[in-house]
Amino acid sequence: MMKGETIVFYLLAALTLVSAAMAVGTRRIFRSAVYLLSSLIGIAGLYFWMRFEFAAAVQIVVYAGGIAVLIIFSVFLTQRAGDDMPTPPMLRTIAAAGAALLGMGLVMLQLVAHPFPTPAVAEVDRSVSAIGRRMLATGDDGFALPFEVVSLLLLAAMIGCIVIAMRTKPNQP
Amino acid sequence: MFLTRYFSEIAEAVGSLLKGMRMTGYYFTHHKEIITQQYPDNRATLVLPERFRGEVVMTHTENNEHRCTGCTACELACPNGTIKVVTKFEVNAEGKKKKAVDKFVYLLELCTMCNLCIEACPTDAIRMAQTFEHSVYDRSQLTRILNKPDSKLQEGVE
Amino acid sequence: MWNLAQLTDLIHGWLYETFPPAWALAFEMIIVGIAVIGLFAGLGLVLVLMERKVSAFMQIRLGPNRVGPKGLMQSLADTLKLLVKEGMTPDGVDRFLFNLAPFVAMIAAMLLMAPIAFAKDFQIWDLNIGVLYVTAISSLNVIAILMAGWSSNNKYSLLGAMRSGAQIVSYELSAGLSILTVVVLTGSLQISDIVTAQSNGWWIFKGHIPVIIAFVIYMIAVTAETNRAPFDMAEAESELTGGFHTEYSGMKFALFFLAEYINVFIVCAIGATLFLGGWMPLHIGEWTAFNGIMDWIPSSVWFFGKTFFLIFLMMWFRWTFPRLRIDQLLNLEWRYLLPIGMVNILLVTVIAILKWHF
Repeated sequence: MMKGETIVFYLLAALTLVSAAMAVGTRRIFRSAVYLLSSLIGIAGLYFWMRFEFAAAVQIVVYAGGIAVLIIFSVFLTQRAGDDMPTPPMLRTIAAAGAALLGMGLVMLQLVAHPFPTPAVAEVDRSVSAIGRRMLATGDDGFALPFEVVSLLLLAAMIGCIVIAMRTKPNQP
Repeated sequence: MFLTRYFSEIAEAVGSLLKGMRMTGYYFTHHKEIITQQYPDNRATLVLPERFRGEVVMTHTENNEHRCTGCTACELACPNGTIKVVTKFEVNAEGKKKKAVDKFVYLLELCTMCNLCIEACPTDAIRMAQTFEHSVYDRSQLTRILNKPDSKLQEGVE
Repeated sequence: MWNLAQLTDLIHGWLYETFPPAWALAFEMIIVGIAVIGLFAGLGLVLVLMERKVSAFMQIRLGPNRVGPKGLMQSLADTLKLLVKEGMTPDGVDRFLFNLAPFVAMIAAMLLMAPIAFAKDFQIWDLNIGVLYVTAISSLNVIAILMAGWSSNNKYSLLGAMRSGAQIVSYELSAGLSILTVVVLTGSLQISDIVTAQSNGWWIFKGHIPVIIAFVIYMIAVTAETNRAPFDMAEAESELTGGFHTEYSGMKFALFFLAEYINVFIVCAIGATLFLGGWMPLHIGEWTAFNGIMDWIPSSVWFFGKTFFLIFLMMWFRWTFPRLRIDQLLNLEWRYLLPIGMVNILLVTVIAILKWHF
């Protein structure tokens, strides 16, 4: 008999994979966005299953609350309600399927080749403060540089947004 | 200065919002001023405001006399054809023919209670009554004749 | 005294003695689920009646007074009516999403119940990121509204959904910042830690003016996030005939309605936990006699009292202020609440580092 944990894992994995497949399979663009959302929530569920609550919550905040809403808004602004997308040509479908299979094959090769050693530390400190310390640590196990680089990127994006959104004065060209 | 204006705006806004909340808070804590009329229950004691307009009626004295001369000023004043004054010619005491009202037809279903007919009347023959329970089972019951049968023009009303 | 933890421990112990652990866990989940659904139903009934009575008294009216003594049965009668009504699916809608949307709204509201501490040691799931979890899950609510608005195939619904999307996404920032002030002061995201940190006084008293500002911003932001007047642009009756739930009827409409009230309860519960000490009784310094009397009142009464006080505050807002226009709404957020919130969190950080709070 399977353990309860394993059953939950397979359920979450099935939710993620099935809704991901449906997201690319459906011809209604809004449904596609919603399936994508449920796939992302499935991944968040996997993080919860692994007891990495912080990663799960961030996954939901960033992907479900941010990216999915952004996608849905762009659908609202560009598409008409209920219209089906045109069927793509057969060649494109085959090419897309091939690309997907190729990507999956590559990932599977890596997964099979990698030995996955059991970590020496049995219990990882998952508390938020530990994550924060690692994030700003400058030592060998710290992530201060990537953290700062990413924040620079975000700052640049923010300034770009402000520049685009700024009202130009009427007398200026 | 930008910052002083910014903060004074905030202070003003918060002040006015608190003022509004104080008003509703006062209402919330003072239940005695309830304005709801529990209508069918208090039908016997219901007091309507003085200027409430329910329907047009014609005043009659106890001798069954009214003040309508049949001048049709009200009919002309009515914006939606509620009033039809049917006139007739009467021979008065001196043997002269004189215009008088035969039937003052009032279609309640068309009336919007705008009060223009009352203002137009030169002899104050009609007025607004305070009755408001007008529902009937047949539309024809809403067509009313306001002058009572065999009523006469009051003496001295020209 | 009146410790609900004894009750939960009793049930927990009995279940684990009688059944294998997996089954015991499953039974516990079922019990929690039933309790949450029961709480939902009860809260829905109470909050709808409370809203109608409060609105009536604030407008010098009587409110519901026919069904039952003083109209207390009114919301039961309403529920019965909604249950027997036909749940229509109009022509031309995206059936799958249209029928799914109310359940998404409901599930999002249900998930939010998990980290709330209802009483001393009485909490469904005391996870270590409690507050972050609440902000994360509450962002799912906007998805349900967008789904409902889009799938209804109705321009009013779509407009309502888009307004609500813009509103929720922007006011989430202010709510998050004001939540962060308390997190900075406590140094933990866990709900139980936040409550324990307030054992010698609630944050709103201990944290000086910045925390009071944060509390005000929090109340404004969550009023907007739950789409209640004066921020009810998403369902503005006079403009959009009902906004995103225009096309819904019967039980599906009731689920949206219930989810809205549950969300109000949850944001007020979180507000009470963060700023007013959750189930922590009111303690004043060294007055042991006074503190003793306060301790004697059960912790669940404290929690529900504070939560309902905040709910009453939100109802007070709703029945006092007129609705904002969309540009005023965004102005308020981006030009007032957000800058003030950012400066405020800096102030709070200084206070927390220098340990100026009590």
